[in-house]
Amino acid sequence: MKSTWYASFRSFLRAVAGAALGLSLGLLICKLVGESPLKVLHVLYQSSFGSGYDFGMTLFYTAPLILTGLAVAIPLKGGLFNIGAEGQLTVGALAAAWAGVIGASIQSPVIAVVFATSSAFLAGGLWGLLPGFLKARQGSHEVITTIMLNFIAAGVTAYFTLYSIKDPVSAQAETIPLPEAFHLKPFAAFNGAPMGGLIFFLILLAVGIHYALWKSSWGYSLKALGENETAAETYGISRGRSWMSSMFLAGGVAGLVGLVEVLGNSHRFKIGFSADYGFVGIAVALVARGNILGVLPSAFLFGILQKGSASLDLETDKITRDLSYLIQGLIILGVSAEDLWGWIWQLVRRKK
Amino acid sequence: MSALEFRGVSKCFGSFFANRDLSFSVEPGTIHGLIGENGAGKSTAMKALFGIYPIDGGTILIQGKPVRNKSPVQAMRLGIGMVHQHFMLAGPETVLDNIILGHEPGFLRLDRERALEELKKISETYGLHFQKWHARVDELSVGEQQRVEILKLLYQRSAILILDEPTAVLTPQEVTELFENLKRLKAEGKTIILISHKLKEVLTHTDSVTVLRRGECVGTRVTAETNEDELAQMMVGRPVSFTYEGERKVFAKADESRAVLRVERLTIEGVSEPLRKVGFDLRPAEILGVAGVQGNGQTTLLRFLSNPSRYRSADGEYRFAGANRMGSNPLALRRAGMALVPEDRLSEGLLLEQDLVENYLLGQHEDPRFVRNGMIDRSKLRPRVEAAIRDFDIRPPYTNIWASRLSGGNQQKLVIARALDSNPNTLLIAHPTRGVDVGAIERIHEAIMKERNAGKSILLFSSELDELMDLSDRILVFYNGAVAAEFSRREFDPWAIGRVMGGGAK
Repeated sequence: MKSTWYASFRSFLRAVAGAALGLSLGLLICKLVGESPLKVLHVLYQSSFGSGYDFGMTLFYTAPLILTGLAVAIPLKGGLFNIGAEGQLTVGALAAAWAGVIGASIQSPVIAVVFATSSAFLAGGLWGLLPGFLKARQGSHEVITTIMLNFIAAGVTAYFTLYSIKDPVSAQAETIPLPEAFHLKPFAAFNGAPMGGLIFFLILLAVGIHYALWKSSWGYSLKALGENETAAETYGISRGRSWMSSMFLAGGVAGLVGLVEVLGNSHRFKIGFSADYGFVGIAVALVARGNILGVLPSAFLFGILQKGSASLDLETDKITRDLSYLIQGLIILGVSAEDLWGWIWQLVRRKK
Repeated sequence: MSALEFRGVSKCFGSFFANRDLSFSVEPGTIHGLIGENGAGKSTAMKALFGIYPIDGGTILIQGKPVRNKSPVQAMRLGIGMVHQHFMLAGPETVLDNIILGHEPGFLRLDRERALEELKKISETYGLHFQKWHARVDELSVGEQQRVEILKLLYQRSAILILDEPTAVLTPQEVTELFENLKRLKAEGKTIILISHKLKEVLTHTDSVTVLRRGECVGTRVTAETNEDELAQMMVGRPVSFTYEGERKVFAKADESRAVLRVERLTIEGVSEPLRKVGFDLRPAEILGVAGVQGNGQTTLLRFLSNPSRYRSADGEYRFAGANRMGSNPLALRRAGMALVPEDRLSEGLLLEQDLVENYLLGQHEDPRFVRNGMIDRSKLRPRVEAAIRDFDIRPPYTNIWASRLSGGNQQKLVIARALDSNPNTLLIAHPTRGVDVGAIERIHEAIMKERNAGKSILLFSSELDELMDLSDRILVFYNGAVAAEFSRREFDPWAIGRVMGGGAK
């Protein structure tokens, strides 16, 4: 246990050092294009932590990435690559909005939120379960099926948005607004940034999933399956059950993006609301190296970068949006390059 | 001048010396054995030579010149080639493409014709008689794949060929063939290093032999001047007996109706090793041996018995612990008292990138001793793993290392300890000592016999006839998917059993 803890800690330190290295390279490039690195650092810091509003917005960008990062990391434990978080979150968000339409008469905020949460989780979960089922039953490759289901999800949700629960008074492609009871309250300290206690719920969720994977027989089976499918099967671990349950959980977690966006922000489902959260989630999970708790800092890093790149474009003269994406890319590269440190260490040792 | 010389070579991992001050030399045009228990440092030494690990001290000389290999590519350029225990071939590609991989002839355009011409010449020169250049590698038998690996080294013009446990995966016929080929390579001037822990094959096929123990060189002998006992003693550090000489408790003749496991008319078609009307029973307090040349149905039988749910098309009857078990899953069989030591510990028995505790949990992940309400209590498990490490002398003795850090023999000990952990009444054990060193073989045999003497039923699959005859009360011989004959202990005779294995009559 101690050694595991130590290894994770070391891995975390390496990630921080990697981020610093990537950022330094990015700043060097800024210098080359004629922008002061200090100014860039200042803008990055100000835009993510500068005010209550900025920090709230950073968390608002972080929240969906925590969920989609988890949605990728969970099935990865069992050896499945879930490319379908995008579709799962779309279906989940629509379900959250639809819950508001069906439950329009609900007065109690608690009942309303629980109802919307379970609808989003269930809808996303079923959308994730489908590729899990196809894989277990037919051996269909999950990468193919989840990608395809992303398109289908986009089509299906658009249909229902336009033909079943469209807001009749709006000219946009969006659903009927949610009643007051369904709204999640943001923190006042965030000065209008749409993020509240939900962020603590998401952190708890990640911790809970981490605990379940480590402690439960279910989590063990999934991990064993991901590590060695033949051995797992030889010792009685059911592939179908593990795959389907992990994909259901992953889809459900992705579906909870509906809480962030629909209940917390726009109070309705808008077609195309997701800024590719599902796909960025893949990068979030990979930077976290598939570690469930690692998804939290990883998503936060992506949140900061997403918030920061918009500000860099606006607040500096020389740095365009593309250049800020480049800096973002360098930082992610630095975090992912785990072997880099072993290599540098070896060079140092050889010099001596 | 020696073809190869190690002068005081050391290699450590952290504070652990895998090789300490190794010195020996190999004469050109000979077959040189490198033997030692698992974990003695044979593979480490060869990997250092092959440039996979950097060495921490000493010198390696090739043709009298000191070299410092930094990568396998460099080693290959120096004429060193290695056939790894687990072959390094790309299964879906053709034999030809596998061989030329990394040394493709032609500039811009890949000149396969030229390569093929050259290979045919090589195959002719060394008398390998290989034909299937355009077959997919994964369609070849294991023996043929090994020949592809050897051809690959010859194509790279390697002068020193290292073979790591080359016979571990071969049938007896393929072993004979391999050594005939090696003899011809030697005659053509190649130097061959044979890593092995099978004393018999080292004694028959090498010219000289170096023994390692715990990372150190115990000595080098001319093969003709040594014997099995001396080598075994050098390897283990104490005298060793090769046959099980422990107690074999005599039980009253078991009543056939008391069979714990019974199979009748079992037929499984549509698999690579079909079964045809197999029937036998396994009684309390006996070891029932299963013999046969690899590929005659034993693998299917073991897989079926341990996991019938995998074979939906199976026909016949399978009863275990008083119930019909057609279609059962492994966990149900486990609850009824069955434990398994699978054929291939690497692919079927271990999670290589998990620690020993996690590995010990495999199969026991729903055992009520460790799991309550679906939650695993690892604090109850860890003492069991520590006890297993003590009982079976698993090295290195740590619970928090990856299973891949253990040598093959120690991995096997872990798998066996895990099978015995739940105190099962019936054991399905396959190849318990395959790739296991001499010292550990004794311990494993003792453990198996202890279970039998305690009244347990054991179905023992092995490719080592000696092992089967030592331990078993009865032996079933498989041929062509059916039980060709049954031998009782009084009738054991290697020639008679061998004849049935080859398709003859009892």
